[in-house]
Amino acid sequence: MRPPADAIGTLSLVVGAIAVLIFIGVEGALVFAIWRYRASRHVAGEPATFERNRRLEIAWTAAPALILAVIFVLTLGTMAEISGAGVTPAMRIAATGHQWWWEFSYGGVKTANELHIPVDTPIDLDLTSADVIHSFWVPELGPKMDMLPGVTNHLRLSARRAGSYEGQCSEFCGIEHAWMRIRVVVQTQSEFDAWLAVQSKPRTTVETDAEKIFLANICVSCHTIRGTDAKGTAGPDLTHVGSRVTIGAGVLENTDANIVANMRGWLADPQRYKPGALMPSVPLSNADLDALAAYLVSLK
Amino acid sequence: MTAVPLWVRLPARERVGWLRTVDHKAIGVLYIGMGVAFFAIGGLEALLLRAQLATPEERLLDPETFNQAFTVHGVTMILLAVVPLLVGFANYLVPLMIGAPDVAFPRLNALSFWLSLVGGIVLYFSFLAGGAPDTGWFSYAPLSERAFAPGTGVDYYILGLAVNGAGTIIGAINLAVTILLMRCPGMAISRVPLFVWMTLVTSVLILGAYPALTAALVMLLVDRQLGGHFFDPAGGGQAVLWQHLFWFFGHPEVYIMVLPAMGMISEVIPVFSRKPIFGYGFVAGSSVAIAFLSFGVWAHHMFAVGLGDTENAIFSATSMLIAIPTGVKIFNWIATMVGGRLRMTTAMLFAVGFVAMFVIGGLSGVSLAVVPIDLAVTDSYYVVAHLHYVLFGGTMLGIFAGTYYWFPKMTGRLLNEVLGRWHFWMTFVGFNLTFLPQHWLGAVGMPRRVFTYAASTGWGPLNLLSTIGAAILAIAMVIFFVNLVRSLRSGEIAGDDPWDAFTLEWATTSPPPPENFASIPAVTGRRPLWDRKHPELRDAP
Repeated sequence: MRPPADAIGTLSLVVGAIAVLIFIGVEGALVFAIWRYRASRHVAGEPATFERNRRLEIAWTAAPALILAVIFVLTLGTMAEISGAGVTPAMRIAATGHQWWWEFSYGGVKTANELHIPVDTPIDLDLTSADVIHSFWVPELGPKMDMLPGVTNHLRLSARRAGSYEGQCSEFCGIEHAWMRIRVVVQTQSEFDAWLAVQSKPRTTVETDAEKIFLANICVSCHTIRGTDAKGTAGPDLTHVGSRVTIGAGVLENTDANIVANMRGWLADPQRYKPGALMPSVPLSNADLDALAAYLVSLK
Repeated sequence: MTAVPLWVRLPARERVGWLRTVDHKAIGVLYIGMGVAFFAIGGLEALLLRAQLATPEERLLDPETFNQAFTVHGVTMILLAVVPLLVGFANYLVPLMIGAPDVAFPRLNALSFWLSLVGGIVLYFSFLAGGAPDTGWFSYAPLSERAFAPGTGVDYYILGLAVNGAGTIIGAINLAVTILLMRCPGMAISRVPLFVWMTLVTSVLILGAYPALTAALVMLLVDRQLGGHFFDPAGGGQAVLWQHLFWFFGHPEVYIMVLPAMGMISEVIPVFSRKPIFGYGFVAGSSVAIAFLSFGVWAHHMFAVGLGDTENAIFSATSMLIAIPTGVKIFNWIATMVGGRLRMTTAMLFAVGFVAMFVIGGLSGVSLAVVPIDLAVTDSYYVVAHLHYVLFGGTMLGIFAGTYYWFPKMTGRLLNEVLGRWHFWMTFVGFNLTFLPQHWLGAVGMPRRVFTYAASTGWGPLNLLSTIGAAILAIAMVIFFVNLVRSLRSGEIAGDDPWDAFTLEWATTSPPPPENFASIPAVTGRRPLWDRKHPELRDAP
């Protein structure tokens, strides 16, 4: 199956070319009329009245109608193609929009803000929302689709090349709409399988003092770390949070060098980076913050 | 005959007269004054938005303030600036153009204006009452429900829009009745100036569209204040119902804002081409076609909602169809100019600018009717660019054309042409610099309504360009305001008919006396004043 982005790209080129031709024709006629009929070129007297020509008017009504008919037929063809009619998806992934982060569920294995998919494989996203309307959009992968509470929409995805693609929520969803970014990581099938195998496991470390800090605070009322007693569902699943390349749905971009500092800063005061976000600042000592940040980063 | 002395400093007792006037011209001027004031406020809000977006991860405004600013900018420009400006011109001009002494219901006319204004004041009062609405001008449920918008902003949005809308609905009834029943002898409906035709069609659109908004607003108020569940899926309601109701109003609203401006340039272009409009019947008829079709295209705002391919295909088809009557008008305006003797006054420059810019907005509009393209670029800056090409490049340039054209009739003085040219060219350059790059920004992934964007997106340079354009546009508007104030005080005296025009408003004094005409005129064609001035060249009846 041709990736939806390619199908839309081709259609955009055709419609764009038609639009450019019409643009040149109409604006050209307008500029010509201004130049040709300007008063300074004109001989004295009133111009002849020329106010009706039935044939001309029928012609310039029919011509756009024909062009639009062609565009409409092309539209129908591409609509069928991008909705993936007749192609069975290799996998379904449930995607849920939250204020202001994304939850992706691979048959119950949950992750956040990073969608991993295998390359060149048709995938269906089952989209819904936990609160207000969001819209899933990764421009290089083509169409967007809204996520509505109480409704499940479907979006066909397929990527031609491995790599990392960025997108973000495109339906205004409240105060932090701007920082609801998506990263789609397109991997070879074997890389993807390995990634999913890791994500499917509960946390691999043994219970440490740092984990006890997590479990003893209100963190657990919103977050899950599989393998522990933390089973909250209002916020992102943190079982493998250390493997993600951003914090706060894109607000902080991690590198190997800064990830612990990023995590510590975020834990100390999420509102500083993402004012209005639903995560409160949890009052912790500096030592506890250090330990907790290191612990979360270790959850690879 | 005593003229309404607009520019003279009135004694206190007469100034009160503005509060209780029922004269259609004075009410028209009040509407225009309201529109100009809110246009300035909405413009300042837009400058704040552009300042924030000029560079990535800018922190000039906090997210909450930014979200309030774009919400109020949208509502202000659409409902408190553009609609009052257009209704104001219609109020002032329609009775004059059809040879009537006033509108059908002068007292109702005053009520319309004051309701519209109070609606605007209620909306802005929200700033003092704890925060303006911050859910966008179309305020999608359930974001606008109390669970997600607990402040009072959305309540003021509901009340403000409902009251403003009541004024607009009453005004539409008044104008429609006036046009249908108060035309002077000989002024058949097939002879009324095209601005009057457009006003009639617009009035019908308002009567069909605004009640849907009012109903939706009441339902939202019930949800928010009385614990209803119309738009709350958890309680058995449906979020998407709001979108259907809102866009059933919202799309005709686009034509409510565009058709009267089309009517304006359909007056300006013929006069400055020294020719009658080409294809009067097609221009008027195509507007009726647009009006019908505009009630069947609303779901093209909702292609990404997931209504299904069949529904999307139907609304795609109707949306493409509406491009046909719109295109017809463009051809008619150009054909009007062909063979004419063009006087490129400021009014004509703006009218031609309307045509040039509206073509771009129209073409991008067709691309948005193509469902797969819409799914790629909807809710992005591409849509922001498109709607501004229609509503600024189209409607506002049309309103400027109308302002330069009719200002002398309303005030007795001409606007300054030198300042006018500066106003036009700065607007033209600033407008395109602001909005042309936004097409590209949207296509590469910048969603609308984001208070900032990551530096890594690479959207910085084009956003900076857009903000520079907005600054130029702001200077152009300052030039316009200077021109308005200066010309009001000391502009060149216009006389009754400074443009050697065609229609009846130029057959009376500038400004016209109360009751407009010394005696009710009688007409025999579409260009009554032309016929009177050039009996040897009079139009065939």
